[in-house]
Amino acid sequence: MSGGKKVRVLNGANLNLLGRREPHIYGSTTLAEIAEACIKAGAVRGIDVEFLQSNYEGEIVEWIQTAIDECDAIVINAGAFTHTSIAIHDALRAFPGHKIELHISNPHLREKFRHTSYVSPAVDGVVAGLGVGGYELVIRLLADMLDGSAGSSPSA
Amino acid sequence: MNVKSLLILNGPGLDDLRRLDSSFDKDLTLARIEQECGKLCAKYRIAMTFRQGNVVSEMFDWITGDATEFDALIINPIGYYSYEAYEKFEQYRSAIKMLAHLKKPVVEVHLTNIFRHGADLIEPLREPDAQIGFICGLGLHSYLLAIESIAQRSQGSAS
Repeated sequence: MSGGKKVRVLNGANLNLLGRREPHIYGSTTLAEIAEACIKAGAVRGIDVEFLQSNYEGEIVEWIQTAIDECDAIVINAGAFTHTSIAIHDALRAFPGHKIELHISNPHLREKFRHTSYVSPAVDGVVAGLGVGGYELVIRLLADMLDGSAGSSPSA
Repeated sequence: MNVKSLLILNGPGLDDLRRLDSSFDKDLTLARIEQECGKLCAKYRIAMTFRQGNVVSEMFDWITGDATEFDALIINPIGYYSYEAYEKFEQYRSAIKMLAHLKKPVVEVHLTNIFRHGADLIEPLREPDAQIGFICGLGLHSYLLAIESIAQRSQGSAS
């Protein structure tokens, strides 16, 4: 069944604290639980999901660079790097596959310093403010896109 | 929150998608978006109302006037990007604010990635007290993902 398609999900600074950090904004689900849900959602559809997190900007940059040869799609929640990192922007521009920016909350409803994203102009699309469930929805959509059957419903 | 009815509003310019830079799907029409959204809503047993208007004040009336008639809103505020569009865009804010007070989920969608057009021409809806989801750049799937997220939260399968 597997066409060997691979999706790399990248999480930036402080996302390892998910579930413990400001749960009124980010919820009580942990990153490990999200990873499990994403890997399972991919596996059901024959997609290999690799779920990574780092608090180091350079490590995120390198994971994007190696994805050029290793992966078909990137999902990136860069955390606070979203609003500061031109290096991540440049790396994403070099990645030829599908790339979607993701945020658990909607940064545009929050502090002004979160209104600018260096990631957004470098990706195909942005998904924000759908809660932790947004991760799995994006994985399901990418699985359909990589399967070439994303004509109608992303969940079908 | 159980969503039984959904209003999908399409703003000025979205009656003709040829004016958008639609690299995702050259043949996409609003009629096809309506058709695909209708199919997905039917799957989740959500009654869908799909509308398009070129006059923002009219859309404002649709949102505020019909607010008791629907449980969730998906809004594509505008189909072209200019300073004129930006001014119109601001008029949505008070209507969205009202929905926020009623605790009705709102998802803002755009077919294209608005941040590639120049973020100074169009900005996402900013209503700090509201819970607004935001999806752009996924073409038809911007809408379908929005419906999926509303259904997902409605079923309580994820927060």
